[in-house]
Amino acid sequence: MKAFKLENEPKIKSGFTTPEHYFDDFSAKVLQQINNEKEVKVLPLYKRKNVISIAAAAVIVFALMIPIVNNYNATSKELDEATLETYLSYQSNLNQYDLIQNLDTTDLQKLNKNVAIEDETLEDILASNPNIEHLITE
Amino acid sequence: MTDEKEFIQELLNPKTQNTAFQKLLSDYQKPLYSHIRNIVLDHEDANDVLQNTFVKVFQYLKNFKGESKLFSWMYRIATNEALTFLNQKAKLNGLTSEALQTKTIENLKSDVYFDGDEIQIKLQKAIVTLPEKQQLVFKMKYFEELKYEEIAEILGTSVGALKASYHHAVKKIEIYVTSN
Repeated sequence: MKAFKLENEPKIKSGFTTPEHYFDDFSAKVLQQINNEKEVKVLPLYKRKNVISIAAAAVIVFALMIPIVNNYNATSKELDEATLETYLSYQSNLNQYDLIQNLDTTDLQKLNKNVAIEDETLEDILASNPNIEHLITE
Repeated sequence: MTDEKEFIQELLNPKTQNTAFQKLLSDYQKPLYSHIRNIVLDHEDANDVLQNTFVKVFQYLKNFKGESKLFSWMYRIATNEALTFLNQKAKLNGLTSEALQTKTIENLKSDVYFDGDEIQIKLQKAIVTLPEKQQLVFKMKYFEELKYEEIAEILGTSVGALKASYHHAVKKIEIYVTSN
């Protein structure tokens, strides 16, 4: 069979035809359809209403959540020093030995400075203390 | 181009809208019909798609930015409408788009609005074997005799790519027709 070459052939038409006078009233049909679509435009309005009510509901939900969120934020504040101290002294098993364990050299030096008492003061204390013997023996 | 801008203004102005749209319809109904018919193949389907195309054109005119020509913009809407229609119809019938077209071509002989013989049918059968893009390019170039530049604007591709597509399409069609 001879190879078919499109360009060697006479132009092949698509062969599609239309009913007679098809295009005569086509534009009228289209305009009719456009007018029909215009009348049916009630639909988007209804849809928009729906969207508005959903949006309103969402806003109300968020508004109701504001006190909850505020409350949550308030309780999450950091512990203040006094609360922490009270907790440590009354609620925990920490005793002075545990505290001493955690002291390092710098802490000890600081403590030393505070404790450094002049000799005279020491003498006064010893002299005025009636339980001196008791103190010595301890 | 200024003429086209004026024409678009007329289409948007409520006072001149009707006359302008009538003109648009009479200018484009035949070429767009051929374009759509070549894609969907059946006259009744082409009629539906063409009507929807013009309704869409009317609805979206206010969004038309004038970035492309009115001509290619309308062809683009028509192409999309036709392809969407084909896919939906195929889905409804539980077929692939290609199977649906093959079936339609087999029924062409009994279609009262088809005036063709064996070679027309064979050519249509050959076209169906092509990828969608090549089908479009071939139909627009061979049947509708659009310029490459026009097709490029409608399909948003380069002229070079279109020429290559058309060349491939012709080769495949020739092989199909020779061997069937």
